[in-house]
Amino acid sequence: MSVRSTARSVRAMLRIGFLDAIAYRGETIVWMLSTTMPLVMFLLWSAAADGKPIGRYGAGELHASFLAAFVVRQLGGSWAAWQINMEVRDGTLGMRLLRPVNPIVHYAIEQAAHVPVRAFFSMPVALLFFALDPLIHAPKEPLLLVLFPISVLGAWALSFLMNVIVGALAFFIEQSVKLMDVYTALFFVFSGYMVPLDLFPEPVRVVLDYLPFRYQMGLSVELLTGALSPAVALRLVVQQWVMVALVTLVAHLVFRRGVRHFEAYGG
Amino acid sequence: MISVESLGKTFRVQKRPPGLLAGVKALFHREYTTVEAARDVSFRIEDGERVGFLGPNGAGKTTTLKMLAGLLQPSAGRATVGGLEPFRRSEAFLASITLVLGQKQQLVWDLPPQETFELNRAIYGVSLADFRKTTAELVELLEIGEQIKRPTRQLSLGERMKCELACALIHRPKYLFLDEPTIGLDVNMQETIRTFIRGYNEQYGATLMLTSHYMADVTALCPRIILIDKGSIAFDGELSELMSKGRTDKRVRFSLSREVPAAELRAVGNLVEHGAAEATFEVQKDAVSALVAHALQVLPVRDLSVTDPPLEEIMRAWFAKEPSAEPAPEPA
Amino acid sequence: MRALATLKAQVRLSVTTSLQYRADFLVDAAVELFWIAAAIYPLVVVFDRTDSLGGWSFDAALIVAGIFAILQGVMEGLISPSLTGLVEQVRKGTFDFVLVKPVDSQLFVSFSKVQPWRCINALVGLGLIVRSLHRIGYVPSAYDLFATTVALTASVAFLYAFWLVAASTAFYVIRIDNITYLFSSVLDAARWPRSVFRGVMRLVFTFVIPLALMTSYPAEALLGRLDGTTLAASAAAGVLALVVSRLLWKRAVNHYASASS
Repeated sequence: MSVRSTARSVRAMLRIGFLDAIAYRGETIVWMLSTTMPLVMFLLWSAAADGKPIGRYGAGELHASFLAAFVVRQLGGSWAAWQINMEVRDGTLGMRLLRPVNPIVHYAIEQAAHVPVRAFFSMPVALLFFALDPLIHAPKEPLLLVLFPISVLGAWALSFLMNVIVGALAFFIEQSVKLMDVYTALFFVFSGYMVPLDLFPEPVRVVLDYLPFRYQMGLSVELLTGALSPAVALRLVVQQWVMVALVTLVAHLVFRRGVRHFEAYGG
Repeated sequence: MISVESLGKTFRVQKRPPGLLAGVKALFHREYTTVEAARDVSFRIEDGERVGFLGPNGAGKTTTLKMLAGLLQPSAGRATVGGLEPFRRSEAFLASITLVLGQKQQLVWDLPPQETFELNRAIYGVSLADFRKTTAELVELLEIGEQIKRPTRQLSLGERMKCELACALIHRPKYLFLDEPTIGLDVNMQETIRTFIRGYNEQYGATLMLTSHYMADVTALCPRIILIDKGSIAFDGELSELMSKGRTDKRVRFSLSREVPAAELRAVGNLVEHGAAEATFEVQKDAVSALVAHALQVLPVRDLSVTDPPLEEIMRAWFAKEPSAEPAPEPA
Repeated sequence: MRALATLKAQVRLSVTTSLQYRADFLVDAAVELFWIAAAIYPLVVVFDRTDSLGGWSFDAALIVAGIFAILQGVMEGLISPSLTGLVEQVRKGTFDFVLVKPVDSQLFVSFSKVQPWRCINALVGLGLIVRSLHRIGYVPSAYDLFATTVALTASVAFLYAFWLVAASTAFYVIRIDNITYLFSSVLDAARWPRSVFRGVMRLVFTFVIPLALMTSYPAEALLGRLDGTTLAASAAAGVLALVVSRLLWKRAVNHYASASS
């Protein structure tokens, strides 16, 4: 397939995904409302802080952290596992396999097209909070601001790929979506979404550096709230993208095996 | 008795124009058009009648049926079924009707059909004695003694449809609304279902309204046809009347004792079909005898029959004949 | 009475159905337990650094978490499967079959998919509560238990009413598959003692979506801290929620019948 025709089909797939997200705006908004966990956690932490800071988290840091968590969740989240699971089980995946596009790429493009629509609904909310809350300040270090979008892209890629891996398990087991629930629970706790990462005991923090969770959420939040030194930030973003590369490989292998299984047993 | 007076139904449908820009616009502002699904529909059906609803896709058959079953509120006119207004969905009304939708199922997917039968028994308050008697009859007529004990998901489409029918009749309804009951079934299964439905109608004097895409369903089951086109009634009368009204021609089919070249056959009359030893001509009603007399002289005729053209063709001719204007969509 | 017979048949049917998927149960239970642990962990971290959360001790906060687990169990087992099923029925069009039956559609739908063993959360929650009471060293009186039951029933009524209204939106909006997620995430705010809600949040979560009360009131009742007036008010509010949700349900069904095709 030539570069031009690839570009054309990517554009067409993006467009379909985008129109789909628009057509079901109700669902998009419902989805946005369902990511209230940062607010819920924020309430808990503010009550706990109650005037005196917890660790390095004073009121301002807490506000900034959970607003950033909201933003990163909106931009970096992916829900491909449910879609893949459904398509494997009802056999529509077969249609995808017939197309001259790598199915993972196809899913990625469709899912990516939902991001602008989510941004459209959620960013005004985030900006409003940012403008109205006197305790939240824009980060001062320019490098962190440059790294932030890169890290969000990485976070999205990781979320998507983990979704592909778990979704692809639907080729082999009935309950793969439940596994996604388990993964999500781990993600909630260990990514910095519910508990700021530097409140974890030291040994746990070391382990978390080698797991995907932090790179799916915490890293971007720390960049946006200016909690990292430029050197550490750079190192972590590089680590994040090494993680992305590794997980891409795993996702590719698992999916390929799954497709063989699908072809052999008809799903 | 089912009585329908100038029944109408309009829907508001969202316009979804193609294109990215239009899609973005629809994010903020949605445009709607009003669609007239049924317009000034009137008819009366006596108890015990079997009536077929015919018409192209989207003509308003299902809409009308759903209004009669109480699922849709009419936007105009009035309908009564057994003296009751469907849309009130009174218990008396609901207990007297049943609805079978060929494309949807009410049987619980993971359980044997008889479990759903039991549920319906409770819902309709059927006494155990009646329930046993009815179930036994239905099971025997439909030959589903084995099937009702197997989980629904393991049944074939035809078996499932038979069980759906049985399930819909547990409470011995007086009015049967059947929407495409034979859709997707093979010819034998269609025939079984038809025979059963006719039997039920004759045995219990139930009134039957049926929509179908299969002409065979309608011709085999319904002495009376209501033709719906673009929301209004285009014809209401006996099947034979529709046959003669739609077309004034007949078909004369000859069996021949030897093969005759097509050119020779064409010389006899308007040839529509011919085979190794047979030929079919189309001819105006009043010219049938002349054609037959002529053919007997020039062709080696062994046998002959005079029939109406098939219903499919009549329908095609009917709907092609009246390309009445599209119902103009009005802005909401 | 026919309604009762229908109810019985309906519950029997839905229990039989879900018995077909017993393997699911183990996975579900594992996932649920995992979630409970995940949700308690932040409390552990918080109380690692402070002794009191607006007047609530760690163990008292765990009682709230226990009540939350009970509510979640009730929701997972008795409420949400049926109402998620409704959304699917509306989308597939099989809700038509419900409407043509001489039964109350709300009753019929609400019990169409009952999965009692998914209430496993409730058991864990109960265990958590007993353990915390023991650590606090408080033995609830008979009145405390009665008050807890009343407050908890009111909370379940609220939960059901909200679910019913949320699921009714299926009659207006076609695609609301992820309404379950919306629901459980809104409910998430009820994990913590009500003292975490301050300012505007306190008003919103007390009067608009009374999450603050759904878990904290039963917990306070159990600890003998809830006064009679508040208890009566919450019971009245529970009844009101049921009535309002019923009215909205009827409206939604009528809308369905006048607008669907």
